[in-house]
Amino acid sequence: MKIICVVKFVPDVDNFTYDHEKHIIIRENSRMMINPDDACAIGFALKMKQRSPDTSIEVVTMAPESVLPLVEDILRVGVDAATIISDRLYAGSDTYATSRILSRYLSGATYDTILTGSHAIDGDTSHVPSQIACLLDMNHMSFISRIDEPSFSSSLARFEVESEHAVSSYEIQMPAILGLSRTSGYRLPYVRYKNLHMDVSDRVTVIHNDVLCFDENDVGLTGSRTKVVGTHVKTYRNRGSHVVTTDQEGIDTVYRFLKEKQFI
Amino acid sequence: MKRILIYIEQHHQQDGIDLLETVRQIYQEAPYETYALVLQGQCDTLKGIFDVIVDLREEGLQEHEMRAISDVTYQLHHSYHFDAILFPATSWGRLIAPRVAMMLDTGLVADVTDIAHGEHGLELIRPAYSGRIMASIQITGTGPMMLSVRPGVFSYTPHREAATQVHTPQDLRYRTGGLKETGRKEKHSEYDIRESNVLISGGGGVERYFHELRPLAELLGGHVSASRAIVDKGVADRNIQVGQSGKTVDPKLYIALGINGALQHIEGLRNVDYIISVNTNKYAPICSLSDIVVEGDAYTFIHRLIETIHKEKGYEGH
Repeated sequence: MKIICVVKFVPDVDNFTYDHEKHIIIRENSRMMINPDDACAIGFALKMKQRSPDTSIEVVTMAPESVLPLVEDILRVGVDAATIISDRLYAGSDTYATSRILSRYLSGATYDTILTGSHAIDGDTSHVPSQIACLLDMNHMSFISRIDEPSFSSSLARFEVESEHAVSSYEIQMPAILGLSRTSGYRLPYVRYKNLHMDVSDRVTVIHNDVLCFDENDVGLTGSRTKVVGTHVKTYRNRGSHVVTTDQEGIDTVYRFLKEKQFI
Repeated sequence: MKRILIYIEQHHQQDGIDLLETVRQIYQEAPYETYALVLQGQCDTLKGIFDVIVDLREEGLQEHEMRAISDVTYQLHHSYHFDAILFPATSWGRLIAPRVAMMLDTGLVADVTDIAHGEHGLELIRPAYSGRIMASIQITGTGPMMLSVRPGVFSYTPHREAATQVHTPQDLRYRTGGLKETGRKEKHSEYDIRESNVLISGGGGVERYFHELRPLAELLGGHVSASRAIVDKGVADRNIQVGQSGKTVDPKLYIALGINGALQHIEGLRNVDYIISVNTNKYAPICSLSDIVVEGDAYTFIHRLIETIHKEKGYEGH
């Protein structure tokens, strides 16, 4: 069975800082990492490979070439091959253009199924898996919280999706795109010490636009259908807080407030 | 006359109706007609609200048939020529909208929480970086404009009685199959935090004694909610999570215990009347939004406040 994992590298949003005066993200402090949902997809693929060793896994990402060290670490935990789709023409692509680029690569690739994440912590749109599914005319489901491992095959997958109101079980015909959610708990293993410097360079392919042959107007900012015209940190009404402590005086202040506003 | 299509999700009709407010903010005074796309649904609640109801009851058009619904939306667009197509960003809406956008070759803005009319025209505002920043997005293609809108952010008050027409299009062509629901376990939650008047909310700071929040909530006639920090740790259930990845709530009173107040959390608090925050760090982001900041340990706060309420009630009783 051949599994392709489509993944994204994202800034570590928990550790980025925002310059409130200049209204910019301070990028020096933000390291890149694999998107957490996407890491679950690779984690699950590796589990399947453990079950049936003839499984092969290819990781595909559209990213600047600077993600190479992160991709190499993924190859050091048992992924067979990686493809980095990278071209300066692709920079600034929105989800529409990104999906078209990834789909063009995938339409020439062989696979039984595509695994990915459900949403990325930076853009947070969840568009790309649905849009690739549309372009490749495949079945798709996202927000998967559990996949039944024994029945997972190149013809069928059974899984659960947890939503706010229910846990639903589904059966999907392969080939399909399955988007995992962090709640699935599958993990990307750490690189073992002895493999830290394993040479994996022969398993990475970097492809540029000379392979995918897009017209420059169809990708990047010009090929996008949406554009970001501004970003800002949201400002909220500052309520001019009254600061107290948990001593009796403080508690009494809270009590009087609740009473005055008729909560008690 | 602008034409706007709104997708109505089967069990969450109100989420679709509320998008009429989003539409009103986009088009303001310009004349427009609203269309509701209803699958297997009850249309009665939508009558008088939408100008046109597109009522689809063919058996193949079930919610999880994403390909079929996209095919149908695509055909409807080619007969009605919509200027905008809106989906509530519900579980199905989020999966169907991107497919429709791709088929129509058009731009889609996800999870919109605000509308602005800036110097360059219409800006659709949405959270990014897990809610840490807000991004203003413009649609650059030739349209139709497509957006998915975060449920619970806009709220529609009917201001006119529309003479609703019901259309039942024939000869729709669509593909079905591939995905089958084989089971469903409803989650039974005792309450919906979106309907609570008072929320006592816990974050990472109350991980060890989250259950202690409930007596205080009951005493104040409210419910318990949680921040993502504590939900991710498995201490609280996801259906009581407040914030961008949880729910947008609008209680009159919100008491935040041990919650730092990352932007993604605060995003869920836009319509709260009063906020009291209890935190060991009085400079935590949530504190600047609070009417009262209690600097200190949430455990002590809960117990002392409960004690005080009982004591004062006791006096009143005499």
